[in-house]
Amino acid sequence: MPDTLLRSDAGIDPIALSVIWNGFISIAEEMGTTLRQTAYSDAVREGDDFSTGLFDRRGRMLSQGNFTPGHLGSMPFVVRSCMEYYPAARMQPGDSIAVNDSFLGSGHYPDIFIVTPVWVAGKIIGYAANIAHHADVGGAVPGSQAVVGVTEAFQEGLRILPVKLVRAGEFDPDLLRLVLGNVRLPERVKGDLRAQLNATFVGARRLERMYRDYGAPTMEGAIDAILDRSEARIRAQIAKIPDGVYRYDDHMDDYGPGTEPVLVNVDVIVAGSDITVDFSRSSDQVAAGMNCYINFTRAYVYFSVKVFADALLPQNDGVIRPIHVVGREGSFFNAAYPAASGGRAAVQIRIFEAINGALAAVLPERAMGAFSHWANVQMGGIDDATGEGFILYDVVFAGYGGHATKDGTEAMSPILNCPNIPVEVHEAHNPVLIRRQELIPDSAGPGRYRGGCGMRKDIELCTDSAVLNLLGDRHRFAPYGIFGGQPGTRAETILNPDGEATALSSKERRVIRRGDVVSLRLAGAGGYGDVGERTQAAVLEDVAEGYVTPAGARRDYGAALNPTASRRD
Amino acid sequence: MAQIALDIGGTFTDFVLRLPERGTSLFWKVPTSPGDPTVAVLDGLDALLRHAGVAPAAVTTVLHATTVATNAIIERKGAPTALITTEGFRDVIIMGRQKRYDTFDLYLKKPTPLVRRRDVFEVKERVRFDGQVLVPLAPLSLDAAVAAVIAGGYRSIAVALIHSYANPAHEERIAAALHARDPELAISLSSQVSPKMREYERFSTTVANAYVMPVVGRYVRDLQAGLKGRGITSDLFIMQSNAGLVPPELAGELPIRIVESGPAAGVMMCAVVGRREGSEHVITFDMGGTTAKLGAIDDGEPAVMPSFEVATVNFRPGSGLPLNVPSVELLEIGAGGGSLAGTDMGLVTVGPESAGADPGPICYGRGGARPTVTDANLVLGYLDPDYFNGGAMRLDTAAATAGIQRQIAEPLGLSAAAGAWGIHAVANSNMERAMRVVSVERGRDPRRYAMVAFGGAGPLHAARLARALGIPRVIVPVGAGVGSAVGLLAADSRIDVAMTRVLRVTADASAAIARLYTELEARAQAQLARLGSVAGVRWSRAAYMRFVGQGYERRVDLPAGDMGGDYAARVVAAFQETYRRNYGYVDREASIEGIDWTLAATVPSPAGSGGASSWAGPVAGQARLGERPAFFPEAGGFVPTPIIDRYRVASGDVILGPAIVEERECTTVILPGDSATVSAAGNLIIAIGSGD
Repeated sequence: MPDTLLRSDAGIDPIALSVIWNGFISIAEEMGTTLRQTAYSDAVREGDDFSTGLFDRRGRMLSQGNFTPGHLGSMPFVVRSCMEYYPAARMQPGDSIAVNDSFLGSGHYPDIFIVTPVWVAGKIIGYAANIAHHADVGGAVPGSQAVVGVTEAFQEGLRILPVKLVRAGEFDPDLLRLVLGNVRLPERVKGDLRAQLNATFVGARRLERMYRDYGAPTMEGAIDAILDRSEARIRAQIAKIPDGVYRYDDHMDDYGPGTEPVLVNVDVIVAGSDITVDFSRSSDQVAAGMNCYINFTRAYVYFSVKVFADALLPQNDGVIRPIHVVGREGSFFNAAYPAASGGRAAVQIRIFEAINGALAAVLPERAMGAFSHWANVQMGGIDDATGEGFILYDVVFAGYGGHATKDGTEAMSPILNCPNIPVEVHEAHNPVLIRRQELIPDSAGPGRYRGGCGMRKDIELCTDSAVLNLLGDRHRFAPYGIFGGQPGTRAETILNPDGEATALSSKERRVIRRGDVVSLRLAGAGGYGDVGERTQAAVLEDVAEGYVTPAGARRDYGAALNPTASRRD
Repeated sequence: MAQIALDIGGTFTDFVLRLPERGTSLFWKVPTSPGDPTVAVLDGLDALLRHAGVAPAAVTTVLHATTVATNAIIERKGAPTALITTEGFRDVIIMGRQKRYDTFDLYLKKPTPLVRRRDVFEVKERVRFDGQVLVPLAPLSLDAAVAAVIAGGYRSIAVALIHSYANPAHEERIAAALHARDPELAISLSSQVSPKMREYERFSTTVANAYVMPVVGRYVRDLQAGLKGRGITSDLFIMQSNAGLVPPELAGELPIRIVESGPAAGVMMCAVVGRREGSEHVITFDMGGTTAKLGAIDDGEPAVMPSFEVATVNFRPGSGLPLNVPSVELLEIGAGGGSLAGTDMGLVTVGPESAGADPGPICYGRGGARPTVTDANLVLGYLDPDYFNGGAMRLDTAAATAGIQRQIAEPLGLSAAAGAWGIHAVANSNMERAMRVVSVERGRDPRRYAMVAFGGAGPLHAARLARALGIPRVIVPVGAGVGSAVGLLAADSRIDVAMTRVLRVTADASAAIARLYTELEARAQAQLARLGSVAGVRWSRAAYMRFVGQGYERRVDLPAGDMGGDYAARVVAAFQETYRRNYGYVDREASIEGIDWTLAATVPSPAGSGGASSWAGPVAGQARLGERPAFFPEAGGFVPTPIIDRYRVASGDVILGPAIVEERECTTVILPGDSATVSAAGNLIIAIGSGD
């Protein structure tokens, strides 16, 4: 095709650029499909707990699939670390690097990255990468995500600094034996690693083909243009936010039974087209497996800023350039090695919520009440019916906070983005019985637009014993409402609600026995706007649908239901 | 003797009247009547029979594809429906699978369920995953639920209990209790509609079935009465999503199976055309006004998937309602002639928003202000402004050029022609992404496939798309504009039954597999008994299998015939071969399990084989209508391009690209370096070069 025909004034063919960009996104998606279809664990396949990304030869992120945001944000730093450990001279075609270190990676050991260089004519032209949450990487408890009783990273399982785990397309058998000898479910880990490798090979093959089709000069010109234009776009959006320092302070319950709350304090500094998010005023790092390494904090800051600035922008290196993440060294949000971090997934929602609270004043149409939070539960042991080991890994999601134009969405994955695991799948694979899973009436934070309801899920153990690991929050500090909206109800976790009921704390580790029922009750999400502004019709509809009981309606919306009050419907 | 196929689409209702004795087929098209589609069907039928001089009594078969079930769901116009479920699981339908279909959009709306929360009633009961009853169905709770449903005035009831795929007894007792109270109630049991593991998908399917059942039932009765009133007393068959035909009574019981009726017929047409032209492997490409639909034919048979999604938002996976219904494999994306173009960050964007039919593209002159793919195709010279839809509509080239100039070309610093090319190329790139999913991502090597292109815009984009993917051959069938109706005439009757049973496939599992298939065959036989003639029935088995420990199953065709002795070993071998083909390796030591087991019974076409309509080759040499400039970047820009009349080419004619072949409902573009041959059946066969 004659170049002159289609060349724009800027010197780059906008049509080729459109098609190349489309191609990058499509490659990231295809890697995701491959990974999901060949994975072994419920978390990866049913839970979509993985991500994929494509990088140029300088380690700049070109595209990512529509997957878990925490993975997405840490990936650029992982690829660059791999490049430092393994410069091109030490790599051969078909080699791949694995890493799961909490500091270099995504913040806890179960997330293993596979990074595969892409070769054209004997040179590395880019990297295909992905990350998957593995069922287990050893350590103190099944699932490797203990919070309580874990005080340093050495208790959390196998740490993999960047290492060439794959040579000439095959796993190095010695290294693989070392890895699998340290995990509880070696077959599953092996299968998921294999699936990850399949995915990077698929991505590498397609990127290679694009380079051959378009040639290096066009590809590199296109990459620069894509990244520069993405940066320009997000800068223009950030510049629309009034300059200033915006603060928000909240608390997490604690980091285990009998511990202090964790301060989640943020300063958001908007200056021109740059935005700095500083968590330095938060607590120090804690002696429990819940700390956030900086990559994890970065990941959710990027996500949050994008939500507030331009949610539809593609995810690449250009978009993150104007976003600066700061945390005091050794603090909860910039933990220093060997801080323990297995359960840091409890914090992701709170990073968003702090920024949301800070920016609400200047971006009220984008802000929302706080989420129900979530519960990340694991039970592990031996299934005495089969004699085989099991790890139940569950994710329980509930409401979104009220928003400027609508009630909070019911029962949707908050910030992290995973599907739930079906009750029928859990019961077929693990010795458990799910007794109920339902919304909790009268739990939503009232407001002009109410929050979503909390969720109750009761899980009964059907084998002799298991180790229960709880990872939740909002037992002590309710999800906040904004602009006059009320907070939702607090969360609770009850052991044996129909027997000798025992209240558990949000983060706990204990042995449970056959017949024990763990009843998780997630918080209600926060409301938006004044209760008095809710229409009577909306309140009556909530009563008809059972989100609010008649008694709850009188208590929370008494004025609105009073026929003498002003009619707003 | 006459056979009629009719396909009700969103815009047009298409007819094919096949007259085997005269050796011809007539194509007919009338606007679909909004509200009551039977009006257009019956009026069109009258006109067609009159035109052909055929007496209603001579009609032996009526084959039908319809969007009535789909529209009821998309427009939320089904019957007031109640759901009865297991205590503690009232919110399965509201929860869904809980994933955002766009990670970065925290404000998106979940699909609105077909039942409200207040329409869900609970009974006390519980069954385990292996079918064992843990809590027997409590009579008091059953009575209370039945009373509540009756008092609520619901006419259609879905019953979906946890693990009922493993033991349907409780659902059946609830059905009996409902029936005893009111024999007129429409009842859908999840253990019958979709006996498969995973509660949300099964519940969703069952609720959707209940929701459309009264609507489809009424529609079928009206249609049958209308046909009878005209003296047409022949058998009526309705197309299901699996590309098989069933009598109306079966469609009325499991109406959710006819949701993808029309598209399934289109895919069936591609299978027939492919077979006739010697291509057993086909990628199907149907591009219309708002969307493009991609499907596949493997080994001569339409690829059928175990489930699909209806009523999605911008065709995003996860944004619609999942249905566990065997359905032709179709990937739909928002890329059609009416897709809107724009610029963003110095790039060309196309779709998924569409200008629709009204106001439509700028060139329609009906008030459309934003450029579309059709406007671009007009500016590029691919479309004839005076022969759009057979000349029924004039297109305004100047307005289209001005729109593209102002809104696309100027912001990007391009000429109008390059701007139009950008729209065309980006639309293709979007479709290429989707086609890659259908081909490469699903284990189909494009080099082994032909593409059958149809729909108003399909044949125009097909060659370029085929080239990008490395598909060597494009077929543009005769009657591409009424493709789905043509497909009906070729479809067989087909019954699909399936069940979930987790079974380790070890060497001694043959007997267990045989038992399972005995049960499935009994269920299929019960439905077959109602088909009428079942001469020549063919059985095919497939299973969804995986390595123990994996979560995702792959479909594996199982060996036919005797299931004794080494059958389990042959099943294992079939799985390993399928896996190796898709992923390039297989672990021969790993244990294998089957999850879902399916059985399909096909009975040869109710319309008979009959042969295709003849292709009366006209006088050769008359086909060339002239030439006009059309844009081909590989040729340096606009070049004089021959215009060929599709109605005047003869079998054996060869058309060298660049060339444009025009017919009433669509336009075929042949690229420089490619050539098209007219086959004996009149289909255009384009040999795609590499473009180098």
